[in-house]
Parts: sequence; C-alpha cells; structure tokens
Amino acid sequence: MTEKPTGRPVPLASSSPGTDENSGLSPKGLSAGSVGLLGATVIGISCIAPAYTLTASLGPTAAAVGTQMPGIFLVGFLPMLLVALGYRELNNAMPDSGTSFTWATRAFGPWLGWLGGWGLIVATVVVLSNLAGVAVDFLYLALAQVFGDPSLADLAANIPINIGTCLVFMVAACYISYRGMETTKAVQYILVAFQLIVLVWFSVAAIGQVAAGTAFDALAFDPNWFNPFAVESFSAFAAGVSLSIFIFWGWDVTLTMNEETKDPETTPGRAATLTVGIIFALYILVAVACLMFAGIGSGEFGLGNADIQGNVFAALAGPVMGPFAILMSLAVLSSSAASLQSTFVGPARTMLAMGHYRAFPDRFASISPRFKSPSFATIIAAVVAWGFYAVMRVLSNDVLTDTILTLGMMICFYYGVTALACVWYFRKEAFTSVRSFFFRFLAPLVGGVILAVIFTTTMIDSIDPEYGSGSNIGGVGLVFILGLVLLLTGVVLMFVMRAVNPSFFRGDTLKKGIATHDKGASAVRHHDR
Amino acid sequence: MSQPANYVVAYEATERGREAIALGGALARLTGAELRICLILPQSTTVPARVPGYTADFDTLLEEQGAEWLDKAEALVPAGITASTHLLWAESTSEGLISAATEFESDRIVVGAARSGLLQRFSVGSVANGLLHASPVPVALAPRGYRAPERITRITCAIGTRPGWEALLDSMVAISEDLEVDLRFITLVEVDSPSTGTTDSDNHLLTVLDYFNARGSAKGSHSTEVATGRSIEEAVEELDWRADEIVFVGSSRLASPSRIFIGATANRMLRALPVPLIVVPNQPARA
Repeated sequence: MTEKPTGRPVPLASSSPGTDENSGLSPKGLSAGSVGLLGATVIGISCIAPAYTLTASLGPTAAAVGTQMPGIFLVGFLPMLLVALGYRELNNAMPDSGTSFTWATRAFGPWLGWLGGWGLIVATVVVLSNLAGVAVDFLYLALAQVFGDPSLADLAANIPINIGTCLVFMVAACYISYRGMETTKAVQYILVAFQLIVLVWFSVAAIGQVAAGTAFDALAFDPNWFNPFAVESFSAFAAGVSLSIFIFWGWDVTLTMNEETKDPETTPGRAATLTVGIIFALYILVAVACLMFAGIGSGEFGLGNADIQGNVFAALAGPVMGPFAILMSLAVLSSSAASLQSTFVGPARTMLAMGHYRAFPDRFASISPRFKSPSFATIIAAVVAWGFYAVMRVLSNDVLTDTILTLGMMICFYYGVTALACVWYFRKEAFTSVRSFFFRFLAPLVGGVILAVIFTTTMIDSIDPEYGSGSNIGGVGLVFILGLVLLLTGVVLMFVMRAVNPSFFRGDTLKKGIATHDKGASAVRHHDR
Repeated sequence: MSQPANYVVAYEATERGREAIALGGALARLTGAELRICLILPQSTTVPARVPGYTADFDTLLEEQGAEWLDKAEALVPAGITASTHLLWAESTSEGLISAATEFESDRIVVGAARSGLLQRFSVGSVANGLLHASPVPVALAPRGYRAPERITRITCAIGTRPGWEALLDSMVAISEDLEVDLRFITLVEVDSPSTGTTDSDNHLLTVLDYFNARGSAKGSHSTEVATGRSIEEAVEELDWRADEIVFVGSSRLASPSRIFIGATANRMLRALPVPLIVVPNQPARA
C-alpha cells in the first residue's frame, strides 16, 4: 500500500497482521499475480483480435504475395519475435517506462524519442480508423443478414452514412475509454472463444465446399504455398512482411506481462508461445481455406478482387457459411468494436506521457480527476482518428486497404526505432554474457534492421500509383503520400514544439541514459514542473 | 476508546471530493474524530490492446498527479481537524475505500454525491452506490453543493416500523453521546399506502423515544415528527430541514448483518433530501 502521510501527526491504525493479503490494496500498477497461463493466452489473442485482423489483411496480403500467403505469415513473425525480445529487455531494465516514446528517448535522446512516440501514435490512430471502418461495414452487413434485406448492407457504401456511423463508433469507444472502463475477463474469454470457433467453422466450411466441388474458384492445395521465397519479387515480399507485422501486432504484450502473472518466471514465455501457436494454426488454416475456396483471381469472390480486398470476410462469409454468415459478422463486429475501445488506451497514454515531459503541449498531460484517465489525449485521439477516416473515405478508392498498407509501414517504423533503441541502450552490456548478446543485441539488431529494410522498400514501392488500391494524387501513390505526410507532419510538429517549449529537447525533463553493467537503469528523470 | 475514531473520506479532485471533505470535517468536529483522506487510483488490469495500455509510465504519472491532488485536498481540511492523506491503488474505487476503512479500522466512510443528476440533489454515483450496498461501516453521503456548517446542531433519525430499528437507535445513542445536539425522530408515510396509518407511526415514534431516552445522553431537545406525502419524496419535502443537520437511516432487511445495504425507502429519500445522509448497518461491526 502506498501511503503519503502528511506533516501532521497521525496515529496510524494498528492494522491486524494479514489484512494486507485480502485488502485489495496493493502497490500501484497491475493487480499482481492474478493472471494464469490461460488468462495470459486469452489476453494475447484478444490483443491480436484475429477475426478483425484477418478480414483486414487477407486481401492486401493476397494481392501482394498471391498464393505464398501462408509462407509470408510464417516468415513475417520473425521480425516481430526479434523485436519483442528486445521489448522485454527494455521493459525489465526500465520498469518505470513502458512505451516506445520513453524507451527511445532514454536510448537516443529527445529527437528520435519524439519520433518514436509519434510513430506509435500515428500507427494507433490509423488502426483506430481502420477498426472503426471494418466495424461500420460489418454493422450494416449484420443488419442486412438479420432483416434479410441486402440493401441495408449497401448503406455502408454511402459515404455520408458511413462517415457518420464511424463517428458514432468512435464516440462510443472514446467515451468508454475516457470513463476508464475495461472489458471484463468474462467478456474477453467469450469474445476470444467466439472468434476462434467462427474462424475454424468458416475454414472447415470453405474446405468442405472445395471437396464438394461447390467452391467459387477452387484451387488445389499446394505445399509450395508455405515457401515464402517463392514470392516473385522482393517488393512483394517486403509488402507481405509489412502486412504480417500488422497481423501479429499485439503479440508482444504477452511477452512483457510480468508482475500480473501468477508465475512471472515462466507464464509470460509460455503464454506467448501458446498464443503464437494458436494464432499460427488459425492464420494458416484460414489463409489456406480462403486460397482453396476463392483463389487469387479478380472474380466476384477472388482474393485478387480489389472491391473485396479491404474486408474479405464481408464478401466471403455469405457464400462459404450460408445462413450462418451472420456469425462471422458478429465475430468481426465484436472483435473490432472491443479492439477499437481498448486501442484508445495506448495512444492516449503515450500522448499523456509526451505532454508530461513537455514533448507535447501541457494540455495533453491532463488527467480526469473523476475517472483518472488521460482526458484531453483520449478525446484528441478520437477526433484525429475520425478525421483521418473521413478524409481517407473521400480520397481513397478503398480506404481499408490503403489504411492497412500505411499502417504496416508505421508499425515497422516505430517497432524499428524501438528495437534499435534497445541495441543502443544496452550497447555497453552487449558482450558481457551470451544471454545479453542474444537478447539485448543480436535479436533487436536483426529485428530492427529487417524492419528498417521493409519500411524503406515499401515506402519506395508505394510511390507507384498502382500500389494498394490504386488511389493516387497527381500520379503518386496515395499510400506513399499518406506515409510521407504523416511522418513529415511529425517532423514539423517536433520543430514547432522545440520552438515553443524547448525543455524536453534540451533533455531537461527526460534524460538520455545508458544501461551499465553494474546497475540496471542509470537514467535519471527530473520533474521540474 | 483507546484511540480517536477516524473517518475515511473518499476524495477526488472534483466538487464531489470537496463536498466529502466538507462533510467529513463537520462530522469530525462533532465527534472529535480524525480524517483519513483517501484518493483511490485505478489499478490497471491487463487491457488487451495492441499497444500495451498498462504502461508503467502512466502509473508513475498518475501517482504524481494523485500526490498533487492530495496536497490540495489537505488545504481544504477545516482548521483544528486532524487529517492524513493516503494514495491507494485498487481495482475499483468503492473496493479501495472499503479496504481502507478495514485497514484503518475506520468508523465511517464519507463520500460526495455524483454530479450527473441534473434535478435531484442526490444522484448516487457508482462509487457511492457500490459503498451503499457493501460497506461494513456506516456511509455518510454529502448532497450536491454541500458546504460545511459551523457546527452540526441537529441529528434526524428516519425510522421505520419494521423490526430492526433498535440497531439504528443504538448508533444514534453512540454518536450523540454527551453531545450538545438536538435529536429528531421521523417516520415517512406514503398516504396512498393502505397498510400504515399515521396513528401507528405516532405510537411507534413514542416507543422509539422511550427506547432512546432509556439509553441516550445527548444534551439537546428531542422531538418526533411524522411526515406524509403521496410519495416518500413528497414526505421529505414536507419536513423542515436545517442546513446544519444530518440524517441517519438504517439498512434494508436484505442486508447481511454487518454490511450496509440501502433500502428502497432510503434510496427514494436520497432523491429529495437537502442534507447529508448516513446509512448504518443493521448490526454494528464493532461494539
């Protein structure tokens, strides 16, 4: 229990021994020792939100790498694994930090730290708009299925209605997050179980239709699909890996769960392994089933059809599952809505930290006295995410595909910065032990370099106006413009902030540091407000 | 008592939190108790989000902010009252307050009403609501806009005819011990209700008064009143209320013996009551 006695004499209640255990009061942070292996795995799968992730990424991935999708999913996990190992080291070394912003600032100083935080905020804001977009599509699809009136599903194509509905989702999710409400464990378990059941059902039904000869464009299974190096070009490979980073995004959370697990030594590692095992099995099953059922052609239900790419299950669930397609709608809708709400927390808290350390204007640092949540930052996240969605809805032929591709790049950027921050922060310790060498140096270095290469390649390739949905402005690909604008905006804002309030950039608020051999984190923080 | 009584004050840096301190101060002055001003911060549960939401950064910043808020809270404590401030983490605010009350062996939890109700004076928020259905010690609720009086001059005890009223009377006896304070015993009657006539209520209040006089030691006037109205709210409005009084009410018969559980009538009283209300368990947790 944390107490702050005041100057006045306080005869403290002589609490009877043993009250601490059941008192419900404990040190700050997570409720310690409450999560077991199953709970941690459920949290891991919830983070990834497979039903949402798959519907958003299958199309763009198939468009990039064709039938090599299962292989790309496998290889795409590698950089995620390497970076997550680095995350875990940073998390252990700097227990009072916890985001790319603080980690990168401590390792590289304010400038790269600022950009690392910016990358995270941009990535989460983009995913918020994509999540809301998917939720909107499935809401109208579910309504159409419930009322047996296909015209209801077409409402999602009406731009003003679509943007308005998205606003409703945003406001609801923002409100829940602002109130500091969290999804209960029971709801998490149900959502995860429901997603897994429906996705397996979908895959079995799809393969069943292939066997029965009723598939849309049956493609015979080929073990070569698992060979990621059969992808025709490095550009396609890079685009595929960038998307794979997106589909495993959130997996690192299981690895960094420590104190809240019943056994911090073994539970996080086992849960992370179990999570990725389940996710692998699921992704590969669904990817193979979709390829076998729909092929990669550009026909009505083909994965190569640009019209269905951004939201594959919306198109395929009907022909595959028949009357039970409503279950898929509900699975994706619930998964994306729950994810929408929980995703608000990350960018809001990062902006709060940036506000506190004077990297952002002071207002971002405000905490709601009633709900104890980042008030201003949460609202800003919602406003920006919705604004971004609205603009994209108007500009892009396929808002979902383009946002997912942009998102892949942004995740590569901030994960890359964080991975390299890990290498740099531990540079003096890298060769002190074999363990140190692998986890603090080699893994994050290789992971960071892979991400840097993928980021650069996709950035250059996206200049092509045919990239992604084929949306372009003046012959330059929309995805490239988006990526560039988002990052350049960051750079501009950084300089504005530097001019307005240089204290963060002078290192007054958050000091750069380095891990030294004898003591874990030597970085010192000052809070002179 | 070997040590002075102490009250847990549920603080948050809002009007509601300030009202709780105001009421806590008034009660402490009446009974010579000390205040334990508690700010409960939410303990993160693992949020399944792609970007970990439980970042340690946030907890550290929240703790700093909490300490800052508590510094301001200290300044609000009326002169002459001993108070300590405590920053506590718990999964829910009401849970944290109950734990704090257990830990400090407190005699009462003082909480402000929610701000959300536009028309009613009390619109019980989730924290107060949680306490009103589970607290092991009496819960004192400050109405919206409460300002502490110089001194509490009257204690009103709203009492029903159903069995179990003796426990409430016992707590009245305890709190008014040797105090210079007026006591008023009231019964609220819905006139449409066919079962109870006001004569029964009058007679019952006389029984109550006898019971109290046999035990109590308060040095002020004692009075009884029966208020009628088409609803409990109307009956409450019918009575006169002093700005410097407080009301005691017992728990529902549904309550487990040592915990409070606000009854339906008390809940409706809350909506119309302009003064603080204290809900006590049917059986005191400690003698």
